[in-house]
Amino acid sequence: MNGTNRYVTLKIDGAIVHAMAGTSVLDTALSYGICIPHLCHMKDLMPAGLCRLCIVEHVKNGKSKVTASCTLEVEEGMVILAHTEKILKARKNIAEMLVAEAPNSRAIQDIAVRCGVKNVRYPFRNKACVLCGRCVRACGEIWRSKSLGFVGRGSERRVALPLNERPEYCKKCNACIDLCPMTITPCPGPMKKGEEYLCGLCESQLSMAKDIEDTCVSCRLGDGFDCVRKRS
Amino acid sequence: MRVSGIKTLIKSRKSPTDLIEVLQDIQASYNYLPEEALRKVSEELKVPLIEVFRVANFYKAFSLNPRGKHLITVCMGTACHVRGSRRLADELLGMLKIKPGQTTADGKFTVETVNCLGACALGPIVVLDGKYHKHMDASKLRNLIQNLRVKQTGKGNAKNKKRLRS
Repeated sequence: MNGTNRYVTLKIDGAIVHAMAGTSVLDTALSYGICIPHLCHMKDLMPAGLCRLCIVEHVKNGKSKVTASCTLEVEEGMVILAHTEKILKARKNIAEMLVAEAPNSRAIQDIAVRCGVKNVRYPFRNKACVLCGRCVRACGEIWRSKSLGFVGRGSERRVALPLNERPEYCKKCNACIDLCPMTITPCPGPMKKGEEYLCGLCESQLSMAKDIEDTCVSCRLGDGFDCVRKRS
Repeated sequence: MRVSGIKTLIKSRKSPTDLIEVLQDIQASYNYLPEEALRKVSEELKVPLIEVFRVANFYKAFSLNPRGKHLITVCMGTACHVRGSRRLADELLGMLKIKPGQTTADGKFTVETVNCLGACALGPIVVLDGKYHKHMDASKLRNLIQNLRVKQTGKGNAKNKKRLRS
């Protein structure tokens, strides 16, 4: 980097792409219309690597390593494989666990269907939070408020307000709610505890949309999850 | 109430990197982290309050609720478990009428369980204010608690403070 805008050339799924040094592999892929599913990643926010949906294979010296692409910086001559069988399988598993954790979200139901989840083998937990950290990062980075944060560790990790009350310096911008993937209910309506299921309503559209040029189904996840290819 | 006391505890430490050190000192002198203390620390050290709250929540050494004068830790590790630590804990909790992590109504005892103390040969172990008591059984435990109840109250607290400082 050295303060200058240096461009690097790398290969993502066989396509030769150029990117500014310092950007992430996920951002580069998305700007070239290579759709890698993602949940916790947001433009203008620091990558956190929390949802692990954006995993890719990074081939180096004949060995491939599976890493999250949002926290992976581009390098000269990098070889990235985003849609190999191994990756698709791992991503499907991650999506399956996510939807088991929080089925009451359209964004997450969408991700699960688009990652090829057919049935959920885990018990549904119906939690209100998947710890994607969008709210926490938006609060701290965009609004510089730091009224939200992760508290606790392990299974007790949760998003909390300082001392569990809304501080005076909270700007009441509602960004935490706007950006939350849990705020959009699934198409058939909210699910009660004990009655959760994999929605899968848009599965039939999946094969159709794949054949239409310039449409990308992989990232049309609720609102606010779209990528460049869909917008154009 | 005790904000001035907290200020003296903070001393000249004003850098965000001193956060844990300051919190440890507050924990040692109050036996828990009062809310005003966290607010004051956040102000003085220029650390966001959520950060202070997060750190205070993360470490088991910090408690956000007032703790009793005596801290009793029962080891629930594998070796201790095999030798009946569960029964021991149940006995103790029944005797004090509390749940793990809680403090008795008179503010004298706090009981905590821990997953392993690393002294498995001595199990079942009960730690009372930093002192390890090996090969515990119900009667030994009862004696220990009885002795503490009879003794004057100041001593245990002083010990506890010493342990936390070191």
